[in-house]
Amino acid sequence: MEWESDERELKAAGAVALGSGRIGFLIRGWEIESRKRSILNSSLREQWEEKLQTSHLPEMVFGESCLVLKHVRSGIKIHFNAFDALCGWKQEALPPVEVPAAAQWKFRSKPTDQVILDYDYTFTTPYCGSASAEKTPESGRGAPEESSCNPYWEDCEEQMDMVALASKEPILFYDEVVLYEDELADNGVSLLTVKLRVMPSGWFLLLRFWLRVDGVLLRLRDTRMHCTFRENAEPIVLRESCWREATFKALSSKGYPTDSASYSDPGVISERLPIVMRKTQKLIIT
Amino acid sequence: MSDLDRQIEQLKRCEPLKESEVKALCLKAMEILVEESNVQRVDAPVTICGDIHGQFYDMKELFKVGGDCPKTNYLFLGDFVDRGYYSVETFLLLLALKVRYPDRITLIRGNHESRQITQVYGFYDECLRKYGSINVWRYCTEIFDYLSLSALIENKIFCVHGGLSPAISTLDQIRIIDRKQEVPHDGAMCDLLWSDPEDIVDGWGLSPRGAGFLFGGSVVTSFNHSNNIDYICRAHQLVMEGYKWMFNEQIVTVWSAPNYCYRCGNVAAILELNENLEKQFRVFEAAPQESRGAPAKRPPPDYFL
Repeated sequence: MEWESDERELKAAGAVALGSGRIGFLIRGWEIESRKRSILNSSLREQWEEKLQTSHLPEMVFGESCLVLKHVRSGIKIHFNAFDALCGWKQEALPPVEVPAAAQWKFRSKPTDQVILDYDYTFTTPYCGSASAEKTPESGRGAPEESSCNPYWEDCEEQMDMVALASKEPILFYDEVVLYEDELADNGVSLLTVKLRVMPSGWFLLLRFWLRVDGVLLRLRDTRMHCTFRENAEPIVLRESCWREATFKALSSKGYPTDSASYSDPGVISERLPIVMRKTQKLIIT
Repeated sequence: MSDLDRQIEQLKRCEPLKESEVKALCLKAMEILVEESNVQRVDAPVTICGDIHGQFYDMKELFKVGGDCPKTNYLFLGDFVDRGYYSVETFLLLLALKVRYPDRITLIRGNHESRQITQVYGFYDECLRKYGSINVWRYCTEIFDYLSLSALIENKIFCVHGGLSPAISTLDQIRIIDRKQEVPHDGAMCDLLWSDPEDIVDGWGLSPRGAGFLFGGSVVTSFNHSNNIDYICRAHQLVMEGYKWMFNEQIVTVWSAPNYCYRCGNVAAILELNENLEKQFRVFEAAPQESRGAPAKRPPPDYFL
């Protein structure tokens, strides 16, 4: 069963439901919406393959699902979708990772006309969200036009206030949206999801790319964003990216278990994976 | 009412059997399965079903659409367990039907019917949770080793969970495999349960994982021609529309787990063949929420960081 918001808490915080079947709220100047749809059907998959110039997509692409956070007054939109994430995968184009059975397979007699495919089947992406700005006419009529200013991210010294985030203030709205998922043909999991919680003081989200290639590799690429609500001021949004990675070999040398079943929940084991990249950035609105 | 009929009724209510009953059922099933060929002969009319993956209530929808066994003759293409919440009840119901009506239901092995895979993808944990020990998992995985590898309908339609193997060009080569073992990591038996058809190769392709074959249109053409079959029917891959033809209707994928993993929103399909082998795909959706037993409680707030 899905998480359900508490009506009284929402009202007390001044949140207004988006209505007309949409899931989300208008709260403290932010329009927050999550959209959860089915996986792409075969004909849409073909269209995406063409647009992305690939013949391979994750088995489950929730192509019409997204999470959108729009700051109404400035028109700034922070959003998360599978297409942009897959553009990132296509661009990064990591070399394929061999599974343990590959060692044995090298000794198999090969069919004469064998083609070796070499795309990154793990769908690893550097994606850390999309940001754009659109100016909505005050009247609310007419199509939104692209704003001349574009938001961008700049490295900063500030750190995310994890202590404040750990406080148990009421959660007004919670949702998790899966963007894509692949079972690596039963060789592990590749999963890109974004989850969000909205509290009276602000919103916080975690975009997580989680990869487990059984017996070989664990990779976790987390992007956290935090925004504290402020009256009559440009919003301050902090973004922290933290990438972690470890091979099963390295984990075993540290005495950690190496069975795949021990690595089903990335939240539980993330501390075991060494950090390979970390940076904090601030959203700049020009 | 015999014990077996009572057990079937119980399983149809999604209530698992006692451990001792599972043990006895598996022993009886073993006696039947051991006699089956690696290429089990199946007569038409028959209804072919793809992956189920422990989605018990959705399998009940399947029986609603396809009719009850034994009235309808069924062929299931494997992957009964893992990922869904009710692998135990799903597999035991199919197995009980097999023991009760051995000539009206055929079960062949999928790549998830394996000790190694079930330890990672759910069935092992589910057995441990529901029985407090791994005995039931042991009994079931022993039965997995006895499941046939493929089926042949009226000598015209070859059915297998995954696909073809470069080590196999004739059905006789499948017949001589010693199947009573855990699914190996390579070789013909592994390929039959694991391989996939692939549009972008014509002959054979090797997965970028370094293990796992992909086969193209010309491989299928030549296999079908040399074995004098009309087409191949397989499962193993999720298809949003429930079924998918490839290579000029020489191979079809049938997928029978609607709303896969309870979130994909896909429909499922079964393929009905009448006595003249005329095809009809029956598409169906997931069981409605209210028919799935007690609804879950509202989850506590997730203070993720």
